[in-house]
Amino acid sequence: MMVASNSPDDDSDAVRAMKILESMPGYGWSADPTGRFTYVSPNALAFLGQAQEDLGTIEDDEFGWRSVVHPDDYGRVAARWRHCLRTGDPYDTEHRLRGDDGVYRWFRNSGMASRDSNGRIVQWYGTTIDIEDQKRAEAGLRDRERELSQLVDMVPVHIRRLTPEGEPVFFNKRLIDFFGLNLADFDKSNGSRLATVIQTLVHPEDAEKLLETVRRSVVTGEPYSRKYRMRRADGAYRWVDGRAEPVRDESGAVVQWFAISIDVDDEVRAEEALLARERELSQLVDMVPSHVWRLTPEGEPIFFNKRMVDFIGLDVADLAKPGMSRLDALLETVHPEDAAGYGEELRGSLATGEDFAMRYRLRRADGVYHWMSSRAAPVRGHDGRIDQWYGLCHDIDDQVKVEDALRRSEGQLRRLVDSNVIGIVIWDLDGRLIDANDAFLRMIQYDREDLQAGIRWFDMTPPEWQEVHARDEAEELARTGVMQPREKEYFRKDGSRVPVLIGAACFEGQSTQGVAYILDLTERKRAEAALRDRERELARLVDTVPVQLWCVSPGGDPAYINKTMMDYIGLKLEDFDADGGLPSAIQTIVHPDDRANLLRGLTHSFETGAPFELKFRNRRWDGEYRWTEGHADPLRDESGRIIRWYGANVDIHDHVVAQEALLERERFLWQLVETLPAMIDCSAPDGEPIYRSQQLREFLGYQLEELDSVGKSRLTGTLDAGVHPDDVLGVKESYAHSLATGEPYARRHRLRRFDGEYRWVETRAAPMRDSAGAIVQWNVICLDIDAEVQTQEALRLSQDRLSRASQAASLAELSASIAHEVNQPLAAIVANSHACHRWLSSTPPNLERVKLIVERIIRDANSAADVVSRIRALFKQSTDSRSSAAVAGVVAEARDLLAEEASRRGVRIEVAVEAGLPLVVLDRTQIQQVLVNLMRNGMEAMDGTANEKILRIQASQNAEGIRIEVSDRGHGLNNPESVFEPFVTTKPNGMGMGLAISRSIVESHGGHLWAESNEPQGSKLIFILPTETKAVA
Amino acid sequence: MMMEDHVVFIVDDDERIREALGELLESHNMRAITFSSAGDYVHADKPNLPACLILDVELPDINGLDLQRQIAEGEHPPIVFITGHGDIPSSVRAIKDGAVDFLTKPFSDADLMTAVEAAIAQDRRARSARADLGDLRGRYLGLTPREREVFPLVVSGLLNKQAAAKLGISEVTLQLHRRNVMQKMEAASLADLVRIAERLEIPITHSRKSGGT
Repeated sequence: MMVASNSPDDDSDAVRAMKILESMPGYGWSADPTGRFTYVSPNALAFLGQAQEDLGTIEDDEFGWRSVVHPDDYGRVAARWRHCLRTGDPYDTEHRLRGDDGVYRWFRNSGMASRDSNGRIVQWYGTTIDIEDQKRAEAGLRDRERELSQLVDMVPVHIRRLTPEGEPVFFNKRLIDFFGLNLADFDKSNGSRLATVIQTLVHPEDAEKLLETVRRSVVTGEPYSRKYRMRRADGAYRWVDGRAEPVRDESGAVVQWFAISIDVDDEVRAEEALLARERELSQLVDMVPSHVWRLTPEGEPIFFNKRMVDFIGLDVADLAKPGMSRLDALLETVHPEDAAGYGEELRGSLATGEDFAMRYRLRRADGVYHWMSSRAAPVRGHDGRIDQWYGLCHDIDDQVKVEDALRRSEGQLRRLVDSNVIGIVIWDLDGRLIDANDAFLRMIQYDREDLQAGIRWFDMTPPEWQEVHARDEAEELARTGVMQPREKEYFRKDGSRVPVLIGAACFEGQSTQGVAYILDLTERKRAEAALRDRERELARLVDTVPVQLWCVSPGGDPAYINKTMMDYIGLKLEDFDADGGLPSAIQTIVHPDDRANLLRGLTHSFETGAPFELKFRNRRWDGEYRWTEGHADPLRDESGRIIRWYGANVDIHDHVVAQEALLERERFLWQLVETLPAMIDCSAPDGEPIYRSQQLREFLGYQLEELDSVGKSRLTGTLDAGVHPDDVLGVKESYAHSLATGEPYARRHRLRRFDGEYRWVETRAAPMRDSAGAIVQWNVICLDIDAEVQTQEALRLSQDRLSRASQAASLAELSASIAHEVNQPLAAIVANSHACHRWLSSTPPNLERVKLIVERIIRDANSAADVVSRIRALFKQSTDSRSSAAVAGVVAEARDLLAEEASRRGVRIEVAVEAGLPLVVLDRTQIQQVLVNLMRNGMEAMDGTANEKILRIQASQNAEGIRIEVSDRGHGLNNPESVFEPFVTTKPNGMGMGLAISRSIVESHGGHLWAESNEPQGSKLIFILPTETKAVA
Repeated sequence: MMMEDHVVFIVDDDERIREALGELLESHNMRAITFSSAGDYVHADKPNLPACLILDVELPDINGLDLQRQIAEGEHPPIVFITGHGDIPSSVRAIKDGAVDFLTKPFSDADLMTAVEAAIAQDRRARSARADLGDLRGRYLGLTPREREVFPLVVSGLLNKQAAAKLGISEVTLQLHRRNVMQKMEAASLADLVRIAERLEIPITHSRKSGGT
């Protein structure tokens, strides 16, 4: 195969060499340093079917032999050749050449550079040997080796080869891949490779044992088999089943060990899991909170789980009692009441093979019976025969109790539903109403047929609630299982809306059905609306009432002020210093002089709970301090505790100012009244005195109040106590009249002064009326006119006495008067005379007494004479006092004189005087006396008659003069002429002088007086006064 | 000398009359006390003697006849009315109401004195009678309670036996009481005791016939 280098300068050698070369079963060649063939053995050219020239060309850096080299090999071969040409490296390559027959064969081509002494390459020499067969054998071998290797590497088994000493010398690919390490990686350590490998790659727990095993096998030559964990490249340990077998030579000596390991991790783990599960199951059986037991087909207990053993305090073995089956022994643990039923049921099941299920009470080890739910089912073999019974029994004691409770509460709920107090609905989340009670149906005005026909939840829900339902309610239900009560609305059947309160809950364990309870809020809404209206009304009221309202906490902190107050003080609640509390608020709006007082008053109220009331000055928005009246009352809760103070402020400034002015005026008036030199009295509309001025009080000498204890009204008390007995009747009548009619009162009467003296007063009273005209008070003034009256009285008395003396009117009474006036002195004279006589007759005569008596006699006799002379004066004629007078005036005067007497006698006086009567010359007083005399006679004549008493006076003119006629309706006169004779009288007390004197007076005036009968009854007295005066001699 | 065992009261508003009557009575040895009005007379302190009241009908404060009625209740001297102009109804009324006389002024000395003396005598008798009754009352008060029980039974005419039975005492005891009653009441006879009982207005309550109540 090698080409020997020959010296070029040895021709013979060259020829010989040539021959050797050409005789070789190969081809030889040479080439210049550029690679151009200088020689190619002829067999080669023959094989190739090519000429040397063709092969040796080099054109465009491509070799001429390109055409014969397999195209797949040319690039490689050419590159190598160029490399060698450039560097001089030996050329050795294998490639395919195409024979003249067109078949490619593998050749090995080798070349060496031949250099000169300078080392410069002068020639290349080479050989080309056919290696087609070799190549083919090699390829077959390689294929087989590859297959084996692939086999070794690809079988799912880790394969190792160990030396007889156990040192690993080969790992198959799987193993290498598994470890991620090659054997060479373990050569660093000085120790045995085996130990290193095991310590590195086997799980620490397994390494030592494995190493030991391997070493023992190496020593003994025994194969081994072992499971252990190997570390995989990723660090995970995997169970493998490792086995090793020794390979022995003919002599039986171990030459090497083959070891394999199979990944059994999954199996091992599955096994472990199985084991674990088995253990768990066992634990489960023991630990499930239930009793698990097994019975033979005959019912004999053969297994109790731990729980059951713990519970009943007996294991199966403990049931083995003499004389009874285990089952009977077990039955003894069942509650006596349940035992019979239990046994019967269980034996029934055992006999029929039907499942057993029952509730009963089982006695616990401590003797307490618990409710149990027990089930048992048979397990059958392939042939359908019962192999054994499996039973399960769990403690349902709590459950039973809960059930009882539940049943009770369910009952209550049922009753609730039935009671129709609230609407109750069973719903489905898909919108269907599954059931509803009457209350709900009423609420929405559907009936039960509608419900059965199907009511859609959504149809009832107004659009705006649909979204809420979808978004909130469903979500809440889904999340918590409960929907907190909320208010919404539903459509009634008629489309109207009903406000409701709805709460819902899912049935336990599911989220699509549940129960909802619905309250009809119509009433409440209405009430709320009413309340709201009222609240709004109140708020408006509170804010618009023209009163300042405020509210403070029990401690006095301002809590609210209404709009009126805000407007008034020009401040809002927020404007007050919140921390300053009441004092600050007062500081802000109350007059400095009133602050302390107000604070004290409020504090007192807050402390005692007493209502607050005070007047103080508040600052208005414009800064003016104005009088304000504040009231506050506490609001208490049910326990009586004060929870708020409500107050009202009213601006009473104008009122106060007006009141002050009024007070001032009142004070002034009061003083006026009190100091007025008149007695003032004020009375109620019914006349009851309510006030008396100081003057009056002092006059009377008692206080008004002192009358109240007398038991009479004040008025009566006053009148009875004060008014003179002679006047009191008249005064009372006048008072009564005035009080009844409202006419002003005026009267003079005597009033008793404090010292008992009756003094004349003039009392005037006038009613004070209100705008409606009703009397509100009588104002009475009472003037002391005693001095005046006394004077007048004296005057009047003297006048009266004079007129009595001079008036013929008194002639009728003159008889009595004369009798009295004359009889008194006469009686005294008579008595004195007798006494005188007695004294003179006594022994000795008492002359001193006589003298005294005689003087008295003289005095009394003169007195009598005076009377007589006064009477005589009455008849004395006088013409001096005559003057012209109108008859009408004289008549009027006479009437006035007798007006009082006439009214006392119940006589009406009618006067008819002709108009235009001429004046008459007369003695006014005397004619008046005549008239008075005639009129009084007439009135007296009507005393005791049942007729209407009318006295009529007529004055007219006739030919003789003025005719005056006085007519009465009395008894009339029997003998009209006789009455004019002196001392003729028709009256019991009369002396018969009146008419005689009257006639003489009329005649002295030139007239004449006569009497006639009146028609239909009574009498007439007529006199005529001549208009022309005729002197009377 | 003036007789001090009687007095004459004169009520008249006319001083001349008072003087004259006083003088006249004095000349007749009679003591006179004068008054100008009824009020003065009523309220005055008057000697407690047999008396006569001369009363003017026309008085400033009250009519004399009305005064007569007012004082009729009590013990008062007999009245002699005097008047300036007497009328028949007034005099009838006065006499009916117990006046001794009704004299119209001017009246004679004799008329007046007769009336006055009659009045005083009448008063003296009345006073004596009042004094006697007072004595009787005093004696009656001196009786024991048992004697006061016996008194009406005796004057009712019951037999001693009946009266004793009534009182539940023995006849002897009753006779003892009866004697005591007679002695204490100073009754000379049963008839006398009956008169006394009449004056004392002791009711006769029992009758011998019924013997009972």
